[in-house]
Amino acid sequence: MSLPLVKYALKAAIRDRLIISLLIVILLGCSLSIFLGSSAALEKDQFTLVFAGAGLRFVSVFGLVLFVVFFIRRSFESKDIEFLLSRPISRLSIILSYSLSFSIMAVVMSLAIALAIFSVSPHLFSFGHVVWIVSIAVENIIMVNTAMFFAMYISSAATASMATFAFYILARMMGQLIGIVDSTLVDSSGPYAMALQLVSVITPRLDLMGQTSWLLYGLDNYAMLYYSVVQGAVFSFLVICAACLDSVRRQF
Amino acid sequence: MKTFPSERSVQLFLAFALLLNIVFWFSVRDIRQEWGNVPPAPELKYAASYGVGDSSFSYRLNGLMVQNLGDTGGRVTALKDYDYDSLAQWFFVQDSLDPHSSYMPYLAAYYFSAVQNPEKFRPIIDYLKEVGQRPEGEKWRWLAQAVFMARFKMNDMDLALELAEVLAQSEAEDVPAWARQMPVFVLNAKGNKMGAYALMLQILKTGADKMHPNEISEMKKYICTRILDKEDARDNPLCVEQWL
Repeated sequence: MSLPLVKYALKAAIRDRLIISLLIVILLGCSLSIFLGSSAALEKDQFTLVFAGAGLRFVSVFGLVLFVVFFIRRSFESKDIEFLLSRPISRLSIILSYSLSFSIMAVVMSLAIALAIFSVSPHLFSFGHVVWIVSIAVENIIMVNTAMFFAMYISSAATASMATFAFYILARMMGQLIGIVDSTLVDSSGPYAMALQLVSVITPRLDLMGQTSWLLYGLDNYAMLYYSVVQGAVFSFLVICAACLDSVRRQF
Repeated sequence: MKTFPSERSVQLFLAFALLLNIVFWFSVRDIRQEWGNVPPAPELKYAASYGVGDSSFSYRLNGLMVQNLGDTGGRVTALKDYDYDSLAQWFFVQDSLDPHSSYMPYLAAYYFSAVQNPEKFRPIIDYLKEVGQRPEGEKWRWLAQAVFMARFKMNDMDLALELAEVLAQSEAEDVPAWARQMPVFVLNAKGNKMGAYALMLQILKTGADKMHPNEISEMKKYICTRILDKEDARDNPLCVEQWL
């Protein structure tokens, strides 16, 4: 791993105004949540908190994915990668350094969201908030590494972004889809059901993470926290390995 | 030789395009999307999909949708025009998404209960009955509201008595005496004075040691002034002179 390369990617995030843009979006998201929450007939603060939590979760993933994909593609197109490879730095080191810097950004963004969530309803703060933000940080780390993987494999930035977003939606819906497959509504041994089962093996269960009900009622089962962290580690390891493989096999 | 259109011809095309837009605007200005009444509720399995797998987010999104049904874009719809069967389905779906919140019971009990034809409210009574039986918080209040609707709005004494009995048996610890006595009030209103009297007496015998003296006094007063007639009250040892 190369520390200068980690710093370089973090500086790029600041230079591209990623941080300031997302902070502005967080501010707007909180304002919109307060507006929508105030239109509810009852439990206005709970509405605000849930809308802010769910909305900012989308916003952070959206912003981070766009930054990572365009940063990686730009690195290839402007020959930055080739320049780096001409230096005494290995291919794996580049990937791992990028992964670390993107993960740091994911954590910073999650902390900014935590502050925003606390600000909109400080009186509702509970330990559930802490668990929620930890799982959001894990989700963001999963998504930046996934975005890096797609950006490595797919040469078009737009296509790689769309693929990452599609993957995110799929991961968020996986619990629902598996529920349908396991129900009596469909033939669970049919080809589509089997294909879905296969896909679910390499899809993180993001539906189990960052549930906004934790912000309101806390957690009944702390296994979710353990599950989030372990899943983040296991899945990130998978996509980083896949990105490393692409890097090793790629012909420059 | 000119290969590009002149600036004047582009201006003419622009003016023509603007004119077309103005004409189109006149033809669509007063068209509004029709409200197709309460949409069918999704199956419980798919309900969380509205919040992309987040059930609490889905609950809040659907909650605002139900609150504003029929009243968006300057449109106002009378409650009597709502499909209450579909509405009841939404309430049950919402209950599966967040059984702890009081938002949907509140909408059901205090907003949709204001329907001009109270008989339409009947499908939602089942929802209030189910939510009201939960021992957490003050959920019993929704059951009390269901009794009120059945007793005073729908004038269905049998249903009111059935709900009142469920309320009286509530497992919640903070249910006040007046809610436990609800079957008495309904029996009395039905004209079953002896039943009401026997039940009230039973409550006094079994629960008086846990009640405030003022509450016991009010219960006795209710027996003497509302359940018993004057002659019976005069002979009853529970009744004191100043109430008669």
